[in-house]
Amino acid sequence: MSVSLSSVWKTYGEGPTAVHALAGVDAEIPSGEFTVILGPSGSGKTTMLNLIGGIDDVTSGDLLVEDLNLTGLSNDDRVAYRRSTVGFVFQFFNLIPTLTALENVELVANLTMGDGAGRAAEVLEHVGLADRLDHFPAMLSGGEQQRVAIARALAKSPPILLCDEPTGELDFETGRLILELLRKVNREENQTVLLVTHNAAIGDMADRVLRLRSGSIVEDRRNANPIEARELTW
Amino acid sequence: MTPLRHKLLRDIRAQRAQFIAVIVTIFLGVTLFAASYDSYQNLAASYESTFTEFRFANVTMAGGDVAGFAEIARQQPGVESVELRTVGDVPLQVGDLKLLGRVVGMPLDTQPAVNQLRITEGAYLTANEPGTALVEEHMADHFSLAPGGTFEVLSPSGWQTVTVGGVASSPEYIWPARDRQELITSPDNFGVAFVGESLAQEIVGTDRPTEAIVYYVDGEDDQALTELLLAEAAAGGATVSFARDDQPSNAALSEDLKGFEELAVFFPMLFLAAAAMATYVMIGRLVHAQRPQIGVLLANGFTRRQVLGHYLGYGVIPGLIGAIPGAVAGVVLARIITGFYTEMLSVPSTLIRFYPTTLLAGVVFGLVASVLAVISPALLASRIAPAEAMRGSAPAGGGRASILERIVPRLRRLPVPWRMALRGIERNPRRTLFTVLGVVLSLTLVLVSWGMLDTIVNLMDKQFVQIQQEDATVHFAGPVGTGDVLALEEIPGVAAAESVLQSPVVLVGDDRYESLLTTFDSGTAMHRFFGEDGKELPLPDDGLFLGNAMKDILGVEEGDAVQLSVSGYTTEARVAGFINEPLGTAAYASRDYVEAVVGTALPATSALIRYDEGAVVGDVRAELVDLEGVAAFEDANALYDTAQKFMIFFYVFVGVMLLFGGAMAFALIFSAMSVNIAERTREVATLLAVGTERRQISRMITAENMMVALFGIPLGLGFGYLAAKQAMASFESDLFAFDLYIRPSTFVISALAILVVALLSQWPGLRAIGHLDIAKIVKERSL
Repeated sequence: MSVSLSSVWKTYGEGPTAVHALAGVDAEIPSGEFTVILGPSGSGKTTMLNLIGGIDDVTSGDLLVEDLNLTGLSNDDRVAYRRSTVGFVFQFFNLIPTLTALENVELVANLTMGDGAGRAAEVLEHVGLADRLDHFPAMLSGGEQQRVAIARALAKSPPILLCDEPTGELDFETGRLILELLRKVNREENQTVLLVTHNAAIGDMADRVLRLRSGSIVEDRRNANPIEARELTW
Repeated sequence: MTPLRHKLLRDIRAQRAQFIAVIVTIFLGVTLFAASYDSYQNLAASYESTFTEFRFANVTMAGGDVAGFAEIARQQPGVESVELRTVGDVPLQVGDLKLLGRVVGMPLDTQPAVNQLRITEGAYLTANEPGTALVEEHMADHFSLAPGGTFEVLSPSGWQTVTVGGVASSPEYIWPARDRQELITSPDNFGVAFVGESLAQEIVGTDRPTEAIVYYVDGEDDQALTELLLAEAAAGGATVSFARDDQPSNAALSEDLKGFEELAVFFPMLFLAAAAMATYVMIGRLVHAQRPQIGVLLANGFTRRQVLGHYLGYGVIPGLIGAIPGAVAGVVLARIITGFYTEMLSVPSTLIRFYPTTLLAGVVFGLVASVLAVISPALLASRIAPAEAMRGSAPAGGGRASILERIVPRLRRLPVPWRMALRGIERNPRRTLFTVLGVVLSLTLVLVSWGMLDTIVNLMDKQFVQIQQEDATVHFAGPVGTGDVLALEEIPGVAAAESVLQSPVVLVGDDRYESLLTTFDSGTAMHRFFGEDGKELPLPDDGLFLGNAMKDILGVEEGDAVQLSVSGYTTEARVAGFINEPLGTAAYASRDYVEAVVGTALPATSALIRYDEGAVVGDVRAELVDLEGVAAFEDANALYDTAQKFMIFFYVFVGVMLLFGGAMAFALIFSAMSVNIAERTREVATLLAVGTERRQISRMITAENMMVALFGIPLGLGFGYLAAKQAMASFESDLFAFDLYIRPSTFVISALAILVVALLSQWPGLRAIGHLDIAKIVKERSL
């Protein structure tokens, strides 16, 4: 699915204390593209991701996912959109500690299918955790936890995958493995992947890099020959 | 089971200690409700069934033209049966003991149409054996009287032996009270015997019945008919007339029922409020801690309703786990209590029923309390903006100096841990408020229970130690002169004897009131009088002292005149003042005053005795009982001792309530403290990381929590006092004056007990600090 942002503003607060997290952003992200959004803290990366994910509302401008304009979408439609269209991967994994790996994924898989246990097992196997199904998050390493989070995001087979600093909490080796996994599912499932990071090196594996500063896109470049994730160094 | 349900159950398991505390509190609240409410229903049904089965009189009229009253009653539609009978208080002797008992006339061979008996031993009275008697169960139990046994009764022709034909219980004497002014009796001082009507007339010394009793169609209450009959009785000169509700035994039982009703509302409400508060604090914290999880759920497409439903589950589950067994336990307990109670009182007909509505109501109350408690946090969870939730949560509370520090700037020089403790109190005002409320509720529960005990102990002390000064009462077979009374002082061991004349009296002001007029010697040393302000007053020679309740009933003030009818003689008397007595509402006058009003010298019907110090009571008693003309002997201490024996129930009750109060305080304070500690795990870990000693951190948290608990103490004492006052006021009537009295030591001990509980309830949380794994906390930050 393609994503289109046209003069998108996101403002927090009002009057003199208003903060423009995004200031008239324009961007076109075609379907199936692996896009890395770079920028320092406070540049508006996560805000942009949240707006595309439908968990936050634009202040002005148009944000279209395929033909659906997210601007002014009703609450129910927004829920339906999140349920059917996007999957999230977070920096801090945000797994539910009282659920096993399988249950964490099944929780989300159930939203789109009656009994999601089979699908949950399938995606966990896909991310290489077939032998960790009954492990609770506290029993998993950071990399494994992030793989569960990716599996959870993939469980609904969303056309768009939104990843917010997915390697921020991981060591270099594990981070690289996670990026490999994300690239793999992007290619295999033809999912549109938007990955937010402050790590510029990761941009080298992307089809496209958007660099944000103070709420505006200051660089929009395409990689003619993106490298494989395993070749990344930082 | 869905993963969300797994999460719910595992979250509960993870915080099992707090949930168990809440569940136990709900369990106790629902158990108390179901037990007391079903006991109330069972007892009310048992009394009602007894009244119908044994045709308990709707109206009783005594004195005056009772045959005329009966005739009027028979003519009224709605009246099913009318009986005339003879009732008289006469001396009885059982073994060596002489007491002022009562004989009640009954038809022979067939039960009367009104106020029937249940024969528990032997057989009903027959014409073949007209000299036999049925002994009321309480008397029979106390003196071990059985069919074939004998006792003496004093008739105008002297003592005569009566054979026990059987043992009976009566709806009139379920609670064996002599009259409304003398509700508390001891079997040593009062007993009832049912005899054939002609024998009753012979014993009492009358040739016609003295009482008319009326039973309505199906025993149904008919207010208008009752008012009509009582008005006729008053106009016809009845000295004692009352409706079923005011019948002495029934009036006493009603007070008791009121107690159960009170118990069924007040205490459960307290427990459920406590459970709700603990749940609210706990789930509020849970939602706060799970903000990122909620964000994930919402971001992944869960609806707000699903999230709301999920968090409501945290109320539903403990609510059901606490309420269902609580309701079942309460219903079972009610059966035990009713059985025990009706057996103790010898209620002729005991009905123990299963009331499904109580079971259902108990479950609903428990569930509603816990669900109401989670509604607010659950709504909050469902309304969280997912993007905001994803950002994680800011530490609770703002960073600024505490109010105390702002008021007293010097406090800012306190060591840092103390400043942290002070600021911690304001950090989460809601949690602080609930901890304070927890202390207030716990203290209320303890003070209401303990206050009841103190009040009753004080009431007994006031009546039997401060007011009644006599050691014994001697009843004469007939009226005697005051000289005969003084002669009693010659008996070894008797220090003083005073004349007393007691007569039923009708006082009329705006309304009428039937009571007892007791005439003492002027300047009596046997009875003390205390005014409304508690100050002792001398017995006046220029008017009557009336019990406080009569002020409102008769609508009179000090100095007003009231109409006084005594022994068929009607006159006007001046109200010299009102006195405060815990038991009954009586009238008192000095012999000089009454003699001046009636214009003749009065005899004495009994004498009040005080023993010499060191006198052997048994010997004095034997001497007095052997005197000719002495019909009965009442030991003042026997009644007090009986009352004291009953106190054991109150001690058990208060003990249980203290235990419950302690458990509730523990549950509440433990929940609040756990949340307090959980909320600051990260900062505690940081403090530990920078080298602060665990002991120092524990001290800081303890200081903060104890300051909050201390703040709740005066509020709890005040609120508890008011609640106890309210609880006692609901028992107030002309029969009992329950002026709340709580000993200062009760306040102190209750406050200390709650503080100790508060201190102990921190232990699990502080212990958890001791086991904090700093590295793990850092890792869990992401979860």
